[in-house]
Order: sequence, then structure tokens, then C-alpha cells
Amino acid sequence: MQSFICPFCSLLCDDIRLEIKNNSFVPLNSNCLILKKSLKRKIKDHFPRIKGKKTTMSIAIEELAKLIKKSKSILFAGMGTDTKGTKVSLDILDKFGGTIDHFSGDSYSKNLKSIQEIGGVYITLAELKNRCDTIIIIETTDQTVPRLFEKYIFPKETINKIKKRKIVYIGSKKPQFLLKNKNRFAFNSIYLNSQNLLNLISQLRQKINNNSLDSTKDKNLTFLFKLLKNTNYGSIILSASELDKDLCDLIINEINLLIQDLNKFTRFAGMFLSGIHHLVTVNEVLLWQTGFPIRTNFSKGYPRHNIDQFSTTRLLAKKEVDLVVWIDSFHEEKITFKKNIKSVLLGIPTHPQKKNADIFIPLGTPGLDHNSHLFRVDKVVSMHLKKIRNISLPSVFEVLSKVKERI
Amino acid sequence: MIVRIKNAKVYDPTNKVDGRIKDIFIKDGKIIKRPNPKEKISQVINLKNKIVMPGGIDIHSHIAGGKVNLARLLLPEEHRKYLYSSTNNLRSGSGLGTCTSFHIGYKYAKLGYTAVFEPASLPANARSTIIEMSDIPLIDKGCYTVLGNDDFLLNLIQKKTSQKKINDYVAWILTSTKGLGIKIVNPGGINAFKFNQRELDLDAKNKKYGITPRSILKILTKSLIDLKAPHPIHVHGCNLGVPGNVKTTLKQISAVEGKPMHLTHIQYHSYSNEGDRNFSSGAAILAESINKNKNISCDIGQVMFGQTVTTSADTMSQYRNHSFAHPKKWICADIECEAGCGIIPFEYRDKNYVNALQWAIGLELFLLIKDPWRVYLTTDHPNGAAFTAYPRLIKLLMDRSFRNEELEKINKDSQNNSILKSLKREYSLYEIAILTRSGPAKILGLNNIGHLGEGAKADITVYTEHQDKEKMFENPFLVFKDGQIIVKNGTIKKVINGKLYIAEAEYDQSIKKEISIYFEKYIGRKMSSFEIQNQELWDHGLELEQIRCSRNDY
Repeated sequence: MQSFICPFCSLLCDDIRLEIKNNSFVPLNSNCLILKKSLKRKIKDHFPRIKGKKTTMSIAIEELAKLIKKSKSILFAGMGTDTKGTKVSLDILDKFGGTIDHFSGDSYSKNLKSIQEIGGVYITLAELKNRCDTIIIIETTDQTVPRLFEKYIFPKETINKIKKRKIVYIGSKKPQFLLKNKNRFAFNSIYLNSQNLLNLISQLRQKINNNSLDSTKDKNLTFLFKLLKNTNYGSIILSASELDKDLCDLIINEINLLIQDLNKFTRFAGMFLSGIHHLVTVNEVLLWQTGFPIRTNFSKGYPRHNIDQFSTTRLLAKKEVDLVVWIDSFHEEKITFKKNIKSVLLGIPTHPQKKNADIFIPLGTPGLDHNSHLFRVDKVVSMHLKKIRNISLPSVFEVLSKVKERI
Repeated sequence: MIVRIKNAKVYDPTNKVDGRIKDIFIKDGKIIKRPNPKEKISQVINLKNKIVMPGGIDIHSHIAGGKVNLARLLLPEEHRKYLYSSTNNLRSGSGLGTCTSFHIGYKYAKLGYTAVFEPASLPANARSTIIEMSDIPLIDKGCYTVLGNDDFLLNLIQKKTSQKKINDYVAWILTSTKGLGIKIVNPGGINAFKFNQRELDLDAKNKKYGITPRSILKILTKSLIDLKAPHPIHVHGCNLGVPGNVKTTLKQISAVEGKPMHLTHIQYHSYSNEGDRNFSSGAAILAESINKNKNISCDIGQVMFGQTVTTSADTMSQYRNHSFAHPKKWICADIECEAGCGIIPFEYRDKNYVNALQWAIGLELFLLIKDPWRVYLTTDHPNGAAFTAYPRLIKLLMDRSFRNEELEKINKDSQNNSILKSLKREYSLYEIAILTRSGPAKILGLNNIGHLGEGAKADITVYTEHQDKEKMFENPFLVFKDGQIIVKNGTIKKVINGKLYIAEAEYDQSIKKEISIYFEKYIGRKMSSFEIQNQELWDHGLELEQIRCSRNDY
């Protein structure tokens, strides 16, 4: 039996126990689907590859160093890595120019933009668990953060001794995972699409700021108004990736403003989820080293940040880069290849696209194959994960440090 | 290898050296009395007409942690305004008040500072803070762990738990978060704000636990004395920024009943509420109290005019002030049942009555507190101003005519409501060396920095004497860290890493059983994953300097 801090999503659950059988691991006390799926991956080979053909690690590293030296415009994309992996990536970018983005950039950049414009009021997981008598869940399911609900939203005991938590689900689909647990809290749901969600939040803000429902006949509005007026400590949990792309930034802004408004008379805070590829870890290192979040470029010798200009999708579509280094040490995220843009994949050995990249370098997973630091979804807590597997797969830090030595 | 520094005019207050010409010998990064006759001196540095002091020590500067990163995220415009290009040996970066990690190290070193202490490391955020600090080069660092609002401690106090058990908890948290000291921020107030209390004076009761800030302050003050901690309790008091709060600050001084206490950024806690605008200086009465109570040390948190950003764990106060945000955006966060975080960008304007008086109050405090060993130079970076304003602040303290010229420029009512003009005191170089070196080292319990005696680290700053003290202090001629020249004439010559000071405390380990149950039941994680191990810090290239809790002058 092995205790384990799970690196496969940004909750970083540290209560996992694993059974070890022939270097494979079975969770004993968790039904988390992401964990199970991740541990089931069978590594058949872990050869580095050049254009699909097996090679040695030193040749692959040499080739990557050559590509970086030759490149006029590099993109570090995906960035599924830990603190040290981010540090060495930034060290290379700082010397050779280029851009850094992340797998979750398209959706999470809407949160970033909103914070840059108006700020916000936020909460960490232990506060969410212990303080909130009301939790509004917007378009969030148990798919991306499976144990968020069991651990922090339906806890047995809380410091505030909350008897029956009020939970409201707002979204476009029926939340089966909540309906199954319905007897554990006071549950309400509102089904609507992103456009109607935006209208509802805007109207709610107006009513809250006027401190009056006026003559509204809207049932949802009336319900939420009364709920919020009687809340001692509430929170909103939101997944930007589930919202309509065109309305996402407006919705997030309205929610941030609503939360700020609610704090005039009660306590309220938000928690914005960030996907399973540890964007928060990468973003934190970026912020302290460069002053900017993801989507920052170093080609002029100093950091330049632009959420729209430096998106992976745009840079690839416009062919503004000639080399893309994809980093994916946790999962098997589908990546994009473009003609005339060299593609390097530093990925786990089971990555299905490893034969399609110009260079593939197999990576270990932080907390499984090497010691690591990762940040939790709430940006505050970081965990030290320890190696538990012995199949000599290198970390991003090890690979890129060797690349750095050669350039 | 031995280096001899000769002919320099030395200011080393710990060793009572006041501008005497003397030699300093460096061996293996440390200062030695003199080499033995057989040892060869490999380098002689002639510093004729130069001034030598120990490396500067900043006792209170927010240089790392979640709050600083949130402030960076909130203010891309500040980072676009201050951009630093990479060079052969230096990394790129940006920002001023929320300057990026590498450049915090570069900028401090260029000002002649060699040790800086982050005063608000939240327990849950301590690991992140220290990893971030591993990217601050050239200076030694340390953290004060924030306590006094965590539900575990408040519950212990509510249950009238023994002082010994509380000491065990304090020692556990200090060591497991790798802190050098313990800081209280608005005792009980951050927690009360989570229950929607908007103010909490020293004797008001926290809604949830029914205990007062006074009780928290007394218990934690005693804890650090009982533990023989290197640094006494570091206190950000109640009612920060509230007009009339000087009364609370005076009550806090009497609350600790003569026990050692460090009051931080007292400028923000020195306000009276007299006059038409209900805002006036309380500096004179606070300084009088500090002069009388020899158990009190303080740093000022001087305000300097311009744009900055305020970052604090004191969510109650930060929320109260969010309407003053400039630009109009702000962040608050409630954190892990232990504290919080508030970020308010702020512009201090010399024509604004309150801001101008804040500036004057800070200077009044510096000039009215008589004992330089108990007052230290800070701007509470970046809350009052970025630390890069220190040379100007030193000039304000050393040069009365400059101070009066500056006073003439501020809001007229503020001028009239300040006694600054009547204060004739001008700080000497010796006193400045106390404020910025020897004093902070002494109160932090660090014997190997802040002086130039035998055994001290060879952290040395060499200045060129100049009539204009701002010019003198903003551009040291040489800076040595651990005996190596890191800065020459304003240019970084070598990038090395400083160490992390941490306190080592002994305690009854049985407390961990209760903490462990609390963590799993309420915090939703294991105590073992909370505790920081030395190995993980070494993995990030950090060298640790352990200071045993054995202070014997309390």
C-alpha cells in the first residue's frame, strides 16, 4: 500500500491510497475517474522518436536543441508541467525569445482578463468547505474536478457547523451528479443557456444594488434575490470552459461584479476552475518571474503579454511561429500539427500522437515518476508530490535543462 | 583567500564604530578580526574617502507570496510601465511595487541591501512563498508566518487551553512553515470578517469565538517569549488606517504588559481624529509611549507620493478601503481558515489632505522616537511605496532643509496640522546604519548580519560620500555578499543566491495528533502534506540557515 498525492487534476487530493502490483497502481479508496483512467495507462515503450522512428534520448535532445537554436519564433504550448518545468521553460524563452501559452488558455484567459479589468473576491477550498451556507454552481460538473463535490461541497462536518447547505445549480444540462446526492443539501436548479445566464446575472446585480425586486415576475430572479439577501457566506463556482465562447468574458465580468456588490452587505466569494493541466502552477511561476500570466512573449528581450495576440490557436493559424514545443506530462491531450511548423512533443510515453511529432521525448509524470511541486486550483496551496514509480522517465526540468546546456 | 579593505570610514553601530577609519578582513565569506601572520592577503581594496556599512536589512517588505502574485495579476499596466530586458547574466522582468522576483534581488542589491524579510507568509501559502523566494537572487531572506486568525488557534483560546499547549502549536506552525518569526495581522479581525463583522477593536468580541483581539495578542506575545523565539511577536494591529486608531495602538502597547513586541508599519496606526476633517496626527502621543516603553520596537511603513499597490492579509481593513482603489479595481480573498488577502492599488497624492498627512506622520514618528535601536526604516513595501524610495526617505531624515522644502509642496492643511516643520532632528550616518542594519538584525535575533565584527557574514556596502544623501544611498560604489563583490558602481557583477533564515523550535510533538485530526476533518488535506520538508527546499536550490530558538534577553 502506498499513500499518494494525485497529480491528475488541480485538486491535488492527498488522501489517496494505492495498491501496487507489478509496477501498476490501483486506487483503494477513490472512485475518481480521472485518477483511475490515468493509472490504467500501460506503458509499452518509452523511446524518444524522431519523425516517428525510435531514437536515443541524447540524439532527441540534441535535435531539439538544434531546432531551438534555428527557430526564429518558438511557442511553448500545452505546458502541462510543474514549477521546475515552468522555470526551465521560461529560462529558455528568456534567452531565445518566443511565447508561452497553456492547454487551458482559451477558457482561463477570460478569468485572467476579468481580474485584470476589475479584480474579484475569491475563496480557497477549506473556506468553501467550512464557511458557505450557499453555493451556486454554474456550468460545472464532476468531470473536471471529480472530488471537489465529495470533499468540499458535501462534507460531513464544517467549522461553521452548517446544517443544510443551500446549493443552486445553474446551467444548460441536468446535473446528475448533484441530483444523486440531493438529500444531503437544499437543492434548486435553474436551466438556461449562456445568453440567458448573462441576462439573469445582470438583472440580479441591478436588483441587488437597488435593494429591491421592483415588480419583477421572473421566478428565477426572485428566488436568487431572496436567497442572496439571506446568505451569510456564499460562493459561486464556475467553469469558464463550459460557457458560450462569445459570451464567456461578459458572464465572468458580471459574476465578478455581482460578487463584489454582494460583499457590501454579506460575505461572498468566487472560485473559478482551471482544468486538469495545472494552468495555475504555470501561471504562478510566470507571474513571479515575468509579472504577467500565460500568453506572454519574450522576443524583444523583455516580457510582453497579450491574451489575444499570443494564443496558441492564433499563432498556429497565422503561422507566426516556426517551432512549437508541446509539453504534456499529465494526460494525453490532443495536439495540433501544422504544415511548415516544426512540432516537438514532450509527452507521457502513451501519448497517441507521439509518432506524428517531428521529435517526441517521453516524460515522466510529476508526483509519479519524480518529486514535484504543483499548485492547487485556489492558487494558495501548493503540494510537494513524491516519486512512487521507478521506470526512469525524465521530468520536463531534466529534459529541458539538458537542452539548455546544448544551446 | 583573504581580502583586506583598507582606509574606509566604517559605520558599524553593533560594534560601536562611528565613522572610524579601519581595516576589514574577509576570509571564506566571513569577517575575521585579522589574518594570522602566516596567511597571505590576496587582495587589498583601498577605499579611501569611502563610507562602509554592513549590508542593509529590510525587516518588513512584501517580496513574495500569493498576495504579491495576485497584485501582479491585477496590474498588467504597472508591469508594462516598468520593463527590464534580459542581459548576459540577468533575467528579464517587470514592475516596481510588485516587481518580479529576479529584479527584487537585483534592485535590493543595487541599493546595498543583503537581507530582506517577507512579513506575511500565510501558513497554507508558505511553501509557495518560499519556492517563489528561491527566484530572488543576491539577498538572504526569511518569512514571518501569519497567525492569530486561524480557526484552530481561536478555538484553543476559546476553550481556555493552557499556554503550554498553545506554545506547542505555535512552535509546530513556525517550524512546519519554515518561518523565522510569527506575525499577527489584525488579531481575530480577519476571521471576524468571514462572519461579516466589519470592525473589531481591541476589546470587541469575535462573533464566532467570543474572544477579543487583546486575548489573542497577549497569548501569542507570551508564546514567542516562552519559546525563546529569535524575533518577538511582529504585530500589525487592529483598526489599520482608521482615523482615531492611535488610541487602539496605545492600548495594544499596554496590553502586552511590558513584554517585547514589534509593532509594524506604525504610520498606519498613528491617526487621531481631531479637527474639521476628523483626521489628524497621533504621532506625538504614540512616539511618547514608545519612548517610555522600552519593550516596544517598531518599523514605520513610510508613505512616499506616487502610484503603488497595497497588499495585506488584513481583508477587513482592505475591504474597508476598497473604494479608494486607484485604478478602481481590487481583490479580496478568504484563505484556508487561517487568514485572507486584500489587494488595493493606491495613489498617494501630495495635494490630498489625508495622503499628505500620512507622509508627515511617518516622518514625525521617525523624528520623535528617540532610540534608533527600536525604530527601523520601512515603507512596508509596496504598501507605502516601493523600497526603491529608501534613498529619498533617508535624505528626508538626514537633511532638514530638504525635508522642509518637501513639506512646503504638500497640501496646506496637512502642513498646518503637522509639527514636522518644528522638528529639528537630523539623523546621522551612524543612526541611519542602526535603522537599516544593526537595529533590524538585533530585533530579529540574527547575530551574523547587521555588523562588521568578527564572525559576521561579509555583507558589506561601500558608499561614496556625497552631500546629497539620496544620491549617496541610491548608488553604492561596491556591495559584497558573503565576501563576493556582487555590485560595482550600480552594475550587477555576479549573481549568487542568498540563504533562507528559518527558526528551529522544540516542542511537545503530541500536539500533532490533534492538529492532524483537525486537518483531515476540516481543512480537507493531511497535516503531513502541509508540513514543509527541508529536502524540497534544497531541491529548489535554497540553502537554509537555521536559527535556534534560544534568545535569552526577553
